[in-house]
Amino acid sequence: MIVKLKVNGEIRSADVSPETTLLKLLREHLNLTGAKLGCDVGDCGTCTVIVDGKSVNSCLMLAGRASGREVTTIEGLASSEQLHPLQETFEELGALQCGFCGPGMIISAKALLDKNPEPTVFEVRDALSGNLCRCTGYTKIIEAVLDAGRIMSTAEAKS
Amino acid sequence: MLLAENTARARALAGGTDLVVDLKHAPGDVDLLVDVSQLPEFGGIGETEEGLRIGSMVTFSELMASPIVNQMTPEIVAASHTVGAVQTRNLGTIGGNLVTCVPSADSAPSLLALDAIVTIAGSDGKRSVPLEKFFVGPRKTILEPHELLVEILIPKKNLGKPSHFIKFGLRKGQALALVNVAAALYLNDDGTVAEPRIALGAVAPTPMFARKAEASLDGKKPDEENLLEAARVAVSEIKPIDDFRASANYRRHLVQTLTYRALKRSTEIASEH
Amino acid sequence: MATKTKEVLESKVKDSEIEDLTAPDNLKVPAKPALKPVVVPVDKPVVYPLDLPESEIRLRTPAVGQRASRPDGRLHGLGQTQYIDDMTFPHMIFAKILRSEHAHAKILSIDTSEAETMPGVLATLTGAEIPVNSFGPTLQDQPVLANEIVRHAGDGVAAVAALTEQQASDALSKIKVKYKPLPAVFDPLEAIKDDAPKVHAPRSNIYASKTIKKGDVEKALKKSDQVFHKQFKTQMVEHVPLEPHSSVAMWDANGRVTIYSSLGRITLGRDDLARTLGKPMNKIRLVGTIVGGNFGGKNEITTEPILAILSKKTGRPVKGTFTRGDEFISSTTRHPFVMDYTTGVKKDGQILGRKIRLVLDGGSYCSWTSTTLGKGGILAAGPYDIANLLVEAHAVYTNKTTTGAMRGFGAPQVCFAYESHMDDMAHALGIDPLEMRLRNAFNEGSVSPTGQLLQSVAIKESLQQAAERFGWKESTK
Repeated sequence: MIVKLKVNGEIRSADVSPETTLLKLLREHLNLTGAKLGCDVGDCGTCTVIVDGKSVNSCLMLAGRASGREVTTIEGLASSEQLHPLQETFEELGALQCGFCGPGMIISAKALLDKNPEPTVFEVRDALSGNLCRCTGYTKIIEAVLDAGRIMSTAEAKS
Repeated sequence: MLLAENTARARALAGGTDLVVDLKHAPGDVDLLVDVSQLPEFGGIGETEEGLRIGSMVTFSELMASPIVNQMTPEIVAASHTVGAVQTRNLGTIGGNLVTCVPSADSAPSLLALDAIVTIAGSDGKRSVPLEKFFVGPRKTILEPHELLVEILIPKKNLGKPSHFIKFGLRKGQALALVNVAAALYLNDDGTVAEPRIALGAVAPTPMFARKAEASLDGKKPDEENLLEAARVAVSEIKPIDDFRASANYRRHLVQTLTYRALKRSTEIASEH
Repeated sequence: MATKTKEVLESKVKDSEIEDLTAPDNLKVPAKPALKPVVVPVDKPVVYPLDLPESEIRLRTPAVGQRASRPDGRLHGLGQTQYIDDMTFPHMIFAKILRSEHAHAKILSIDTSEAETMPGVLATLTGAEIPVNSFGPTLQDQPVLANEIVRHAGDGVAAVAALTEQQASDALSKIKVKYKPLPAVFDPLEAIKDDAPKVHAPRSNIYASKTIKKGDVEKALKKSDQVFHKQFKTQMVEHVPLEPHSSVAMWDANGRVTIYSSLGRITLGRDDLARTLGKPMNKIRLVGTIVGGNFGGKNEITTEPILAILSKKTGRPVKGTFTRGDEFISSTTRHPFVMDYTTGVKKDGQILGRKIRLVLDGGSYCSWTSTTLGKGGILAAGPYDIANLLVEAHAVYTNKTTTGAMRGFGAPQVCFAYESHMDDMAHALGIDPLEMRLRNAFNEGSVSPTGQLLQSVAIKESLQQAAERFGWKESTK
């Protein structure tokens, strides 16, 4: 079946078998490997992407269902001139160790900050509860999300 | 129609948070998937003459964001918030959670406590049953292969009924419940309890009511002693299992403590009204 | 509506009693200068690699007290880091491994003929085809693919390479393995009994032992005012790296093998590969890249030789990535310990002598057990000056998942035991637990259980300062 969707602003399409997940479509057909396969059952969050503004586990979404929708992956956050504030704060605060959970964490955080740029610590924890980190860097990750939120709201206020 | 013609190896796909996992583990079991998640008659939340209607394909995130659900049945919002994590709630649907019918389904107890009624549609028409009757056993409901769960109705008289839901898992996010408890009750003018409901999850083959515990509290004053007694009676009604998450004994202990707390909190909410 | 949800969320905080979520002052990050406004990027296609200025923090001279930053942090954040499973090579195919469902069984036969006819299947492999079918960092007691005996549910018995992962998985179900189940043993204390089933028959289940002796412990226990005894047990723990084990192998026409692997110890891995493949080491090129979480679980080869031989058979690059299930049943885990502590003390809390027996559940194969046994044994007495000591440590085979290296090599297990034991004794003697430790802790110039003269010993000062900082005295009043 042909799946046509918008990924990071570009119209893309791929011919996939019906059981193909959105994660496989992104990684194997579109060569976007930022979303990772960690558990393949929706527990670890390394495959998180944003579909029509909402974060989802791309390992649990069949590619066919993403047809006609707008998907944002980690590859679509930076521009050629500028890192996304989350990428900046995650790097600066050391919120990335082995880095495998990073793309999913950042995407979940983006989905939160896009709606709520000044979250409480609890709201950040809640928004990241579906993203596991085994290097145990949660403290730094939470700091990085709060900091990025501050940068984003400052930028919004000035513009 | 597709489901009716291909019943044996066809499945209806809702949010996919359970079914897609099943497909990965046993890919040969299903030949046909019918995506019902976008059907308009299965979606939407609204107030009708009979009460609050929730389409079966409403996601947990939609429930949590719905002003009307927040206002009329806040415990359904609280229960929705305990399902998986944000990503799961963005895909997972309330109907899918009920149809999958695991004993620990987080959405079941708070719906049971409000005497929810489910509407089922099949090739021979529609029927409505109390949610309690919908569950048959682990992963088994009364749905015939050609039938689908269309909507859930919270009867009008129970909108705003004081209620409290508690989930106990081994961690706060992404955990299956060891025990789920939902209580709902009214207080009469003389301060005695009316229409108490105690619904329990993960302690029997299906989500269940603790009917004897309810009866023990009905018409009584909600003092410490009576609430504790109801909690003790609830323990006598459950059939918990030992598994790697918790022992049956631990689950009994949890049911007593959490039933007491849920009743206590419901009473507090009722007296604030 | 948003406010209502917020209230619900916030009321949950109260329920769960999360109290103070802010860090104590001394752990806080120094306030940053005024935040610089940035342009939030608009949706437009990005071309990688990006050429952006290096982050300010990377340009600072590294120094104590400054926050460290990782050189690869930016790539991680951009999703541009290439882990093994992100790599793809022309004509690459995929391997899957069939695993034993028996904890202990003799393999009577393995029939791969039907699997070979399945769609997309290019090759199958069994242990008999592997030049040297054994590996291990200490003892080479683990088969790459079991072909005689399976020793735990999770032992690989056959492999398939196919055009897609799905085809490889489908073909696995067509491999027919006949087993004769054997009695199995799962408890290390059962396994040390004479009549226990032998995991590696005819060898004893006790496959490594260590004894540490200092002074005369029996005499010291006799002289003690009180003797305490307690048994402590810990459980098996899986590392759960978020990145499952993954490798890609390519066997070229010159007979050289190139392997990309999520392995941490590449030189050791190269050595093991050379041995199993029966090749000189210079024919093996092992490329270790970024590892998505190791924690000790990626310190030895797993499926690399299988992939290499499948690549030889098919002439294609072969990728093999563990499923999460594979991770749990066939990667290594942390050893469960059974720890018996006997300690003799004077009334004032001074420890005169301590006797320790450690039994390590060594799982089905040795892996890093000897290392864990050694370190666990050396550290078992804790950071305490104990003149009379006897530590006996044994590693025991059981029909369980292989136990190996995991953060600390046995140190966390014994720490749990000796510190719990210390608390029990302090409470029984009516001595403040901190005081109990201060009375026994190492001093400058103390000698460790294995005879090292210790220098720069700061344990007492550290304990005292820590106690002061978190208000120990007030909290125990």
